[in-house]
Amino acid sequence: MTILRARSVVKSYGPTPALRLVDLAVAEGEILAITGPSGCGKSTLLHCLAGILRPDAGEITYGEHQIDTWSEKMRSRLRRTEFGVLFQFGQLVAELTAAENVALPLLLAGTGRREARTAAVGWLDRLGVADVADVRPGEMSGGQQQRCAAARALVTEPRVLFADEPTGALDSRTSEALLGELVRLAHEQRTTVLLVTHDAQVAAYADREVALRDGLVDPTGLGLTAAQGRHGR
Amino acid sequence: MSTAHVLLGLLTGGPMHGYELKRSHDQRLPQAKPVAFGQVYATIGRLQRDGLVTTAGHDQEGGPERTSFEITEAGRKRLDDWLGEIEPPAPYVTSVLFAKVAVAVLVSGADRARDYLVAQRAAHMERLRSLTAVKTDPDSSLGDVVAADFAILHLDADLRWVANTLERVADLHREVHP
Amino acid sequence: MKPGTVARLALAGSRTDGVRVALTAFSVVLAALAILSALTVIAIPELGAYENNGRYRNALLDEPGLRGGTVFTLLLLTIPILALAGQCSRLGAPARDRRLAGLRLAGATPGQATLVAVAETGVAAVLGVAAGLGVFFAARPLLDGPGSDGLRALPTDVLPPLWQVAVTAVALPLVAALAAALLLRRVVVGPLGVVRRARRNRAPLPWPGALIVLGLVTFGSIAPVLRWFSDRERSAPDWLLNTMGAGGALAATLGVILGTGWISYAAGRLLHRFSRWPSALLAARRLTNDPWHGARTFAALLACVFVGAGAAEMRSFFRIMRDLETASAEGANYGLDSGDGFYLNTIDLVDLAIVVAVVIAATGLVVSVGEGIVSRRQAYAALVASGVPRAVLARSILWHSLVPIVPSVVLALVVGTSLIAPVTGDEVSNYGLSAPFVHAYDSLAAYGALAVGAVIVTVGVGLLFLRSSTAVEELRTG
Repeated sequence: MTILRARSVVKSYGPTPALRLVDLAVAEGEILAITGPSGCGKSTLLHCLAGILRPDAGEITYGEHQIDTWSEKMRSRLRRTEFGVLFQFGQLVAELTAAENVALPLLLAGTGRREARTAAVGWLDRLGVADVADVRPGEMSGGQQQRCAAARALVTEPRVLFADEPTGALDSRTSEALLGELVRLAHEQRTTVLLVTHDAQVAAYADREVALRDGLVDPTGLGLTAAQGRHGR
Repeated sequence: MSTAHVLLGLLTGGPMHGYELKRSHDQRLPQAKPVAFGQVYATIGRLQRDGLVTTAGHDQEGGPERTSFEITEAGRKRLDDWLGEIEPPAPYVTSVLFAKVAVAVLVSGADRARDYLVAQRAAHMERLRSLTAVKTDPDSSLGDVVAADFAILHLDADLRWVANTLERVADLHREVHP
Repeated sequence: MKPGTVARLALAGSRTDGVRVALTAFSVVLAALAILSALTVIAIPELGAYENNGRYRNALLDEPGLRGGTVFTLLLLTIPILALAGQCSRLGAPARDRRLAGLRLAGATPGQATLVAVAETGVAAVLGVAAGLGVFFAARPLLDGPGSDGLRALPTDVLPPLWQVAVTAVALPLVAALAAALLLRRVVVGPLGVVRRARRNRAPLPWPGALIVLGLVTFGSIAPVLRWFSDRERSAPDWLLNTMGAGGALAATLGVILGTGWISYAAGRLLHRFSRWPSALLAARRLTNDPWHGARTFAALLACVFVGAGAAEMRSFFRIMRDLETASAEGANYGLDSGDGFYLNTIDLVDLAIVVAVVIAATGLVVSVGEGIVSRRQAYAALVASGVPRAVLARSILWHSLVPIVPSVVLALVVGTSLIAPVTGDEVSNYGLSAPFVHAYDSLAAYGALAVGAVIVTVGVGLLFLRSSTAVEELRTG
C-alpha cells in the first residue's frame, strides 16, 4: 500500500530548478533510499514529501490526503504527530539535556513532564545512549548527539521517518551502528523510512533505491534497474 | 578467463598477428599486467581449437614468418555473450569489470558500455544490500560481519569507479574512435 | 603587522560585520554627542556661586547650582549608550570568530588575531567620533537662535576648550578598543575555532543583595552625616557628600543589575520545575544556562528604571513642597504666587533623558534578541521542520525575556524608591506647614510599564528574524 506519493512535483529556488518533474510512490513499511550526486534535488524532494516545503507544482499525497495544499499550521501538526525528521547535524537545542530534547515532541503533544521523561529515557536506552540522558549536547560526541536526534525523531512513534544524510557527519563505524539501530527499530515499529544519501554503503541499508539526477528520477538509476539486475543473474 | 575475450575483442578491429595483438592489448589496458608473448600464442591456440578464431594468412617481410588471425562468427557470438553477462559481484571482479568496459567501448560504442555499467551497478547494489543485511542481522557471527565488511568496502570502491566511469564513457569512446 | 594590514583585515568581513561596524559607530556618535554636550554645559562661564548668567531660557543651564546636575544627567545618558555599544559588539560574533580563526590558521599569533578584532572596534569608533564632531558643529549654528528676549534655548554661544574636544576625540576610540580587548579576554582564538574559557558554571549567589543594602545605607547616611557636622557647627566637606551620594547610588544600581543574574537563575529554576509548556522549558533552560545574559542585556534598561523611580519620588516630594508653599502664601494673603515650579521642570528634563535612554536601551535589546535567534537558527530550523510551531519558539523567546525582567524591574523600582526615602521622609514640611509624603505610585507604575513594554516591543521586533532563521536552508549550512 502506498503511504506517500509525489505526482509531477516541480520545485525551484529562484531561477534554479531543484526538482523538474518527479513522480515517486513510497510503500508503507519500506525503507527507501533516495540517492544521487550533490545538488540533484534529493533533499528538496525529502522536504517536499515531509511537508516542510511546498512544491511549485504537482501534488504530494499522504495516505488519502493531499498535503501540499494544507496550511503551514496543519502541515506542522502532521509533522509533529505522524512524521519524524532526522538531519545531518545541529538539531538539538544546546541548552536542553538529552532527555529534555527527546521529550520535547511529547511535551508539545501535551504529555505530562514525568511521563514524557520516562518515554524519552526509554528511547535513549533503545538507541544505546541512556547514560547521557542528563548531559547537554555540547558535552556529547557526534555519534551520541545523532543518536539523541534519532531518539527525538522516533519518540512520537511516527509512521514515516525522514532522514537526510543522517550519518553524514559521522565516521563509518559510528555510522553503521546508528543505521543498524534505525533499520532494526523501523522494522520493529513498521515505520516507513525515507533515507536521503549520496553514499552507496548507506543506501544499502534500504530495501529499495531511487536515484535522482538534475531534478529528475534517473531512468537508468537503480530504482528501475535493480529488478533487471536481479533477473539477469 | 578474460584475456581470451580481450583478444577476441581486439580482433574485431581486423586481422592481427601475435605481436600486434600483444602490443594492442598492452596499449588498451595500460594498467593491467602486460600479457606475455607466450600467453598470447597459447590463448590464440585455444581459441583456434574452439573455432572462435581462424588464421587469416601468412606474411614474411624480411623476417620470420608471421601468421595473422581473425575472429570467426562463433567468436563474435561468444564475445557478445560475454559482454552481456553480468559478473557475479565479488571483490575480485574489478579487473574484469575494467577489461569489459574497455572492450565494450572498443567493440560496440558508448551506449553498450553504459548499459552494461548500469546493469552491473544494479547487481553490485543488490549484493551490497544483502551483505549489509548480514551485518545488521543480530544472528551473524563476528566472522560473518568482518567478511561482509571486507566485501562491502571493495564493492563500494567498484561502485564509485562505475559511477565515475559512467560519466566518462562518452569521452572514452571518442578517444578510442577519434 | 603593518597598520595598513591590520586595518584591511579588520574591515574584511561579511554584511553582518558591516552592520556591527555601523552600529558601533552609531553608538559612538551618540556617546560623543552626550559628552560634547556635557562639556559645553561645563564651559558656560561661572559668574559667581549664586549669580545667574541671564543668557538661557532654562534654569538648568542658567543657574550655577543646577548645571552640575545637568552635566550629571548628560553623562548618565552615556551608560545606556555604552551598553548599546556592548550589545553591538556581540552581533555576528560567531562569524567574526570564524574569520579570526582563519587568520590564526594562516599563521597569525593570538595577539595579532585579538589586535585585528580590537582594530575593528577602534576604526568604527574613529568613524563614529568623526561623525559625532560633524553633527555637533553642524547643529550648533542651526540651533543658535536667541529669542526676542535675547535668551537662548541651548548654550550654543559657548564652546568647550579645544583641548577637551581633542581629548574626547582621542579617548573615545581608545576606550572602545580597550573595552573590545576586555570582552575578548575570555575568548581564545585558536586555529581551529574559538574556545571560550570556561565561565564560572556555579549558580549565581544572592550577593548583589549585599551591594544593594550597602548602597542604600551609604546614601541614607548622608542626612545623619550632615546633622553630625551641623551639630558641631561645621559644614560637611563636599567631597564626602558627593562620594557618598554617587557611590551609594552606583552601588545600588550595580546591585540591581547584578541581581538580575540571580533573579534569572532562580526564575529559570522555578519555571523549569513548575511549568508544563515546552516553550517555558526552553526558556527556563536558557535562563539557568546563562543567567548573566539578562544582567548584560537589561543593564541599561534597569539603570533607567532605577533613576526613573528616584525621579518619580522626588517629583512627588517637590509637588507637595510647592502645594505647601502655595497654601502658606494663600494663608498669608500674599497674592497668588504660582509656586516655584522650577524643581519640577528639572524633573521633567530627567524624565526626558530617561525616555531617550530607554529608547537607546531598547535598540540594544533588539540587537540582543535578534542575535539570540540567529545564533540558534540551526536548532530552531530543525525544530520547525519536525513540526514545532514557530509560535512555541516565539513564546519561549518572550518567556526568556519577560521572566527575569518583571521581577528585576520591580526590584529596580523598590531600590530606587528606597534610596530616596531618607530624603523625602514620611512627612514633608515647608513654610511651617506639613503634609504626609505620598508615594508617586502612578509614575512608578508608568516607569515599570514603560520598561516591560519596551521589552515586549523589542522581543516583537526581534522575532522578525525568526521566520528567516528557521527556513529549511538553515539545515544545510554547517
